[in-house]
Amino acid sequence: MIQINQLAKAFAISKNNKLSDSEKNDVRYGGDRFHSVREVSFSCGAGEVLALLGPNGAGKTTTLRLLSTALQPDSGSVLIDGQDVIKKPLQARKRIGFLSSSTGLYGRLTARENVAYFGRLHGMSENALNERIDELFSLLQMHEFANRRADNMSTGMKQKTAIARAVVHSPKVVVLDEPTTGLDIMTVQTVLDFIRSLKQQGTPVIFSTHHLDEVAALCDKVVVINAGISAFNGSLEEFRQLSPTADLRQAFLQVLNKEVV
Amino acid sequence: MWQVYQKELLELMRDKKTLMFVVLLPLLIFPLLFGLMGLVMSNVSRQAEAEEHRYVIINAERAPAFADALFYHKNFKKVETELTAAEDLKQAIRDDKFDVAIVIPADFDVSAENLNQSKWQLIHNSSSQLDMISKHFNDLLKTFSKKLQQDKLAGLGVSSDKVAAVLEPVTVERINTAESRENIGEKIGGFIAYLLVPLVLAGASYPAMDIGAGEKERGTLETLLICPISRSAIVLGKFLTVLTTGLVSAALTVISFGGWGYLIGSMAGVDVVAKTMETLGFIDLTLILALLLPLSAIFAALLLSLSIYARSYKEAQNYIGPVTMVVFMPLVVAILPGVELNWKTAMVPVLNVALSIKELVKGTIDYLLLAAVLGSTLLIAAAAIAFCVSWFQKEKVLFR
Repeated sequence: MIQINQLAKAFAISKNNKLSDSEKNDVRYGGDRFHSVREVSFSCGAGEVLALLGPNGAGKTTTLRLLSTALQPDSGSVLIDGQDVIKKPLQARKRIGFLSSSTGLYGRLTARENVAYFGRLHGMSENALNERIDELFSLLQMHEFANRRADNMSTGMKQKTAIARAVVHSPKVVVLDEPTTGLDIMTVQTVLDFIRSLKQQGTPVIFSTHHLDEVAALCDKVVVINAGISAFNGSLEEFRQLSPTADLRQAFLQVLNKEVV
Repeated sequence: MWQVYQKELLELMRDKKTLMFVVLLPLLIFPLLFGLMGLVMSNVSRQAEAEEHRYVIINAERAPAFADALFYHKNFKKVETELTAAEDLKQAIRDDKFDVAIVIPADFDVSAENLNQSKWQLIHNSSSQLDMISKHFNDLLKTFSKKLQQDKLAGLGVSSDKVAAVLEPVTVERINTAESRENIGEKIGGFIAYLLVPLVLAGASYPAMDIGAGEKERGTLETLLICPISRSAIVLGKFLTVLTTGLVSAALTVISFGGWGYLIGSMAGVDVVAKTMETLGFIDLTLILALLLPLSAIFAALLLSLSIYARSYKEAQNYIGPVTMVVFMPLVVAILPGVELNWKTAMVPVLNVALSIKELVKGTIDYLLLAAVLGSTLLIAAAAIAFCVSWFQKEKVLFR
């Protein structure tokens, strides 16, 4: 169970950074700061998959980075199973698995070493780590390239390795930032199967995406972020109802047009 | 922290580029380059020694002894010409008709009674670094003049046993109080820092780029940041990696130069390495290392800070390039003659270390100054590391 309450994050703007007209019209510019995320709240329970939708630059990635403690929020709270993530980031990080399509691997390390490195950083003992790696590599069918260097892997192999790396420490919550962007169909399928298996294990999954078919296929909950505010927060069914034809695309546009504060 | 350190080292060891910079460069390529350079130099000078210069001599009959000496000199070859005017001779040399023209005045008379200074002209292109023509000519002229001097003095009634006293009333025997160590130190002491410091820098900068900016570029930094390990631990692990490669690179160079020096020395019969080691002694060597260590730490922290700030590999390279230039300046100053370690120069980072090493090799170090240099370098190193650590906590640096 993960709960996010009224997260906000602003970035300083450098003075010599010229803004384009459309940027100036963005309500999030205030003074010398850009309020990337202004008020985002949602929650995701056990076995639930939550889709984070929103146009480019809406604040999805910032939100996910706040969740994963890569960035520190200005205000708001993130609770995982009741524990405050922001106050105790080091402990919270053990409970979070994070993956994005842009996350890379260490090219000169093998698949196994890549996964093991992060396992060790998560403080896993060597025995537990080896067991877990064997388990994950069987699950993802990675044994045949376990000792190949990441530089010599195909995209699919890399993504599998990245997935294994993200969950090597058995996280309580998995956060995925556009995990399928820019991947081929086979690799996307690997990612979606992985999300499904997490769902079966009862692990909450939060992922941002632009692919509405993925949302329809996998998600229980939908959150739409627009201009740094969670503009919609509800179940997939409720989201579908926003459009008269139950079309997700229509529903999405409906939310965006409804209110731009 | 050690997890990060171990992994970074493992990764770097697998990288061919690192091996190139850290291992191959000092072990093989540098000695090879220096060796080649020496070979080319000695070849060029040998060639210049053997080169034959075509000459013309005007009014040779006025100084037959000199003309004969010139004629029989192995590096000079006589060429005939009708030209006599200086301008024409100059033009002829430019046109490559001959290399040098010697103009003896028409009124020059070896056996003249009255003593007049005679002005000869030597026309040639002296822009060459190895001006062998002048050298040979001066040698010949010196012999010729000496003979002339003796003849004239004899003519004036100076007997031959007194000639030396007249020509050179005072001779000086020099007794050097400097130990041979001081001489060696003055010559090579400055170069030790000049060689070692850039090596540390070169050995450290590639890994620094790889594990700072490279991590950003590959997209692995974000994952690393959300591991349950403090950012200070991450950055210190990386810092130690950079420091290690820098020092290893420098150490390998010293060993390699030592080895090659020993090899060449034993072949040539002069054992430079053993001699240097003898003069230096254990304590001085330790002190030199003690000076280099914090200096390397400063570089490592600085390079890593720049690299972490950069968005990409390329950007990191752009930042690190100028740093190398800045570091080189004080090193060059340190090998200039007359620059010595005093309270002023002890305050200039890099320069102070270079000068201290020089003094240590010479064996004339002022230990109070050495303490000041060591102290200030340590202080700067601590500050640089602290800066690097705090730099790594900033979101605007990590997520640019």
